[in-house]
Amino acid sequence: MSAHESIIIPKKELPANIVKLGWALTVIGLVLVVLSYVTDAQRAGFNNIIGFTFLASVAVGAVFFIAIEYIAGAVWSTPFRRVLEFLGMLLVPVVLLAIPIFLNFHSLYHWSHADVVAADKVLQSKSPYLNEQFFAIRFVIYIVIWSLFYFIFRHNSLKQDKDNDQARTKKNIGLAAAFIPLLAISISLFSIDWLMSLEPHWFSTMFGVYYFTGSIVTALAVTTYFVVLLSERGYFFKGINENHYYSFGALLFGLLSFWAYIAFSQFMLIWYANLPEENFWFITRWQNGWEYVSVAIVLFHFWIPYFMLVSRPSKMKPRVLKQSAAILIAAHFLDMYWLVMPTYSASPVFSYYEIAFPILSIGLIIVVFAMQAKKYNLVPVGDPKLQRGIDFHL
Amino acid sequence: MEKKLYSISAIYSNPNDIIRAAAAVRDAGYKKFDIHTPYPIHGLDGAMGLKETKLGFVTLAAAIIGAAGMISFASWVAVVDYPQVIGGKPYWSWPAFVPVTYEIAVLLAVLGTVGAMIAFFFKFPNISHPLHDTPYMKKVSADKFGVSIQADDGKFNEKVVRELLKNTGGEVDAVYYSEEFLTFKPQMFDPKFIFLLVGIALATSAGGYLYWNKVLYLPPFDWMMQQPKVKPQTMSEFYADGFGMRLPVAGTVARGFIPYPYALGAKADSVGKFLVNPLLPTKAALDLGKKKFFTYCSPCHGNFGKGDSRMNGQFPNPPTLHSDKVRTWPDGAIFHTITVGQNVMPSYQYQISREERWAIVNYIRTLQRAYNAKESDLQ
Amino acid sequence: MSSTVLDYSKELSVIEGLPSAATLDEMIEKPINDFPQRRWFIGLAITGTMLMIGVVSLTWLLWKGVGVWGINQPVAWGFDVVNFVFWVGIGHAGTLISAILFLFRQKWRTGIARFAEAMTLFAVLCAVQFVIFHTGRPWLAMAWLFPYPNQHGVWVNFTSPLEWDVFAVNTYFIVSAVFWYLGLIPDFATLRDRATTTIKKVTFSILSLGWRFSNRHWQHYERAYLIMAGFATPLVLSVHTIVSFDFAVSIIPGWHTTIFPPYFVAGAIFSGFAMVQNVLIITRKAFKFETLITMDTIEKMNKIILVTGTIVGYAYIMEFFIAWYSGNATELFVFVNRAFGPYWWAYWTMMTCNLFTPQLFWSKKIRTSLLASFILAIFVNIGMWFERFVIIVTSLHRDFLPSSWGMFVPTMWDFGMLIGSFGLFFTLVLLFVKFLPAIAMAEIKAVIPGAQPTHHGNGASH
Repeated sequence: MSAHESIIIPKKELPANIVKLGWALTVIGLVLVVLSYVTDAQRAGFNNIIGFTFLASVAVGAVFFIAIEYIAGAVWSTPFRRVLEFLGMLLVPVVLLAIPIFLNFHSLYHWSHADVVAADKVLQSKSPYLNEQFFAIRFVIYIVIWSLFYFIFRHNSLKQDKDNDQARTKKNIGLAAAFIPLLAISISLFSIDWLMSLEPHWFSTMFGVYYFTGSIVTALAVTTYFVVLLSERGYFFKGINENHYYSFGALLFGLLSFWAYIAFSQFMLIWYANLPEENFWFITRWQNGWEYVSVAIVLFHFWIPYFMLVSRPSKMKPRVLKQSAAILIAAHFLDMYWLVMPTYSASPVFSYYEIAFPILSIGLIIVVFAMQAKKYNLVPVGDPKLQRGIDFHL
Repeated sequence: MEKKLYSISAIYSNPNDIIRAAAAVRDAGYKKFDIHTPYPIHGLDGAMGLKETKLGFVTLAAAIIGAAGMISFASWVAVVDYPQVIGGKPYWSWPAFVPVTYEIAVLLAVLGTVGAMIAFFFKFPNISHPLHDTPYMKKVSADKFGVSIQADDGKFNEKVVRELLKNTGGEVDAVYYSEEFLTFKPQMFDPKFIFLLVGIALATSAGGYLYWNKVLYLPPFDWMMQQPKVKPQTMSEFYADGFGMRLPVAGTVARGFIPYPYALGAKADSVGKFLVNPLLPTKAALDLGKKKFFTYCSPCHGNFGKGDSRMNGQFPNPPTLHSDKVRTWPDGAIFHTITVGQNVMPSYQYQISREERWAIVNYIRTLQRAYNAKESDLQ
Repeated sequence: MSSTVLDYSKELSVIEGLPSAATLDEMIEKPINDFPQRRWFIGLAITGTMLMIGVVSLTWLLWKGVGVWGINQPVAWGFDVVNFVFWVGIGHAGTLISAILFLFRQKWRTGIARFAEAMTLFAVLCAVQFVIFHTGRPWLAMAWLFPYPNQHGVWVNFTSPLEWDVFAVNTYFIVSAVFWYLGLIPDFATLRDRATTTIKKVTFSILSLGWRFSNRHWQHYERAYLIMAGFATPLVLSVHTIVSFDFAVSIIPGWHTTIFPPYFVAGAIFSGFAMVQNVLIITRKAFKFETLITMDTIEKMNKIILVTGTIVGYAYIMEFFIAWYSGNATELFVFVNRAFGPYWWAYWTMMTCNLFTPQLFWSKKIRTSLLASFILAIFVNIGMWFERFVIIVTSLHRDFLPSSWGMFVPTMWDFGMLIGSFGLFFTLVLLFVKFLPAIAMAEIKAVIPGAQPTHHGNGASH
């Protein structure tokens, strides 16, 4: 009973202008990045963290959605799982983007200076965790966990295109179950390492959840953008309809509300208790111009997309979906900027340093996607759930 | 009892048939028809040609009213009506109002949606519809699907309708009702109903009165009042002399206590010259004096010391403070009068501290000067 | 089934076998029509006794005041708040099943949604009694809890998390009740049409409001249900979030930690599902609902218990890690004291029942065993009760100053109230399954094979 008929969906080349745009952005981004590093390595380094954590969000978020689809037995998303599987490949550029950060480590992470630690009781007590060797080892562990599971999921899914073996789905379901708890721990510690420790005195138990939620919102926004863009141009299959769009819209809406819930809870608890060891983090982000950035995040990461997606018909409109996804992607950049840059500068700064990495990241997303799409089917044609996914109705 | 035709109905037992039948009835141009199914069926709305429901607008409106209303109310309470500093935070601590605002928005949205749906969209409760208690209803409430085309539809023609429904494969029947069954008179002004309302009002008032005035004074509800402590002016079983209020232990004074050297009966004129005002008429001292004067003195002496009491004759009005006698008194005489009282005026030494009394004296001097201003003061 | 690969290209049926819609009605209505069996009365006798223990404890409490409980400084919140949080948590499963799983289109929820919702209402009632009675003088509580100015014109404090609780729990109760009633309307109408006695007919006619299964109504009704689910989902999150704010906005080490909101919500779902699982297994057996509540449903419930249990475990670990990472001595002390201080037994009971034993659900054999599911679900309930005990008591009993340290020892009245709340809950559950349809008839009819038209062109599986 394991084999079933595969559905024939002809493979098409991606539109050439999109691929060209991707390469152009990557090249411009790279030039700007090199220029940044040459002129001001510290500032470039902080921006590098922004770009790095952003791409990690997309990559890990994509792997998370692959796992969740298997575990939950979702069918509506099966026809689009390849998009996620292509985006997971961003793990490779993520590793590459980490290298310059490691090279500039001392100018970015305050706690990596031995003399600073020696003079600071609190940092001393943290030094068994916050030290460069362990930091690097942990990074390797995260990458190994994520890519290991990612490549197995992907391998099984790609193989299934040919052999239609249902056992592969079963295998992936088991793996996904094991992956989720590992992901929860690894992404929390990842965010603590790379983002929270920029301000090494500050701590919040919610921080891992905050970054994770932002990540899955972003990964879903990127996926939604690709799906809508490509299906508008006749990719995927006939029969993609408002039910599929609605599912994307509703999920995006739900997740961005969840993000707001997490962000507000974190703020509320620290604001209310008003303990000096915690509140300085928000106070820095509420003065010298950072307050405008904070308000912008609230607007662009929550209220604007919230009201764009709140009504039922709007969740089905391709135009609304694309716009809100684009806003959310930009908002996640802003969010990373808001998390990272107050450590660098007391008031917000904006110049070509700040646009180098966003341009590079967007370019990389498109290029990686295009390279994958060239090689593999855009739809998992061998997946047993595919027909149900195509026929999906609310 | 005369029976009238309500509708021609047809019963189907397959969901595909009912969709087809619905589309057929719609296409035949009937407006007053309905489909009855034991559970909602996908695609039936389209087949019947129903428009998208407007219920979402009710929800949105109710949620906005709830959220706006609650945050305004909480802000009004916290900022305007009774501002209090809580936890060292500003009066308008908006993040703390988010939870209540959110809850009320949800509550109103849900109640508004369901209430509007039941009352206005469904016009419920209505338990005397012609379809109720018919064999047709019994079938569609179990497992069958039914179409019912009403006789008051403009295009209704019994024969044609029967034919149409038969062609779609339904089991055709008719639903009748009696006129009487539908007549409904509002019974708002029925004496029995009015009497019931009056009864409820009386019972509620009596219950409220008994609760607040009687029940709460019975044990165990009054146990916060019955505390084994000595209250002022009460007897004590503990001390041999039976006095609850005790004198200080011999040879001790309370902290910060400075004894007042003059007796209660001493004349203001005679002791006044021995008391020296320690306060300069600074802005701070005058502000303090003004505040205390308004609090303690003005009810009888009037806001400007003119002896125009606000007590409405409950006490005899005191003489004005602008008389030559008081104006020529030394500061100490006024201080002494406040401290020990005069005629019906009681002693204020326990309510008003020494410094405050002197501040009041300074303020009275200011008032006096203001009411008897010389040319030189105006320059 | 476990050895062979499932066919993922087919949808699993929500119910077993192919009963017709009419037989379903009969099956669900049976407990209402039958004269209750002896074991129902035995059950009622047991829960009634527990309820009476609660009534006696409550009377004594009202007569003497909260001093009869074991609370005192520094542990001023004891069993009262532990029980409140515990029961509110239980009350989260019902709305979760009917709202969140509805939004996620998990059709298996249909069989269990109705009585999970009922359990929500009963659990919230149990919770509310503790907050009302822990105010000390509940006969005045109306004026303290609701925004009504007192004799000095002072209003309630809208910045207080305890006041947020009043709003959240009341809203939650009202919304859950409306949601539950909305779902019952079509079933009342079915019962009305099936009624054989006049009393039943009149009662169900009134309760059904005159529902007549019109598609012009179904259209609005379905949308209302969707909207309700859309609102109930964030509501269910907000309620336990606000309960967690009661602790987390303070500056008590062990209470003030930012992960509390999602952690409490996950814990609530965890305990609620465990309680539903317990009642589900008994109801299924007692009323022979095996075809309607399939083994697959029970297995999925177990999976959710496993997931939420692991999230709760994640929060335990993260709290401990950040307590160390913060470099704050009091913070770290509280956590070490929890694990190795005088209340170590409570901590390790919590860890065992919440984190370790649910991991057994990784095994399919245990997931699909009724007995194991039942026992492990009871464990979860014990563990979640102890979790609240650990959070509340161990954080308070070691105050900042060692001279203010103390211990909390519950009295028999504390236990009396706890037993009484279980009595109240299960009495209401027993009455519910006897007098109202325990399974949503209209909903389950809509998901049986062949219930929906086949115009989508994908055969019977939709």
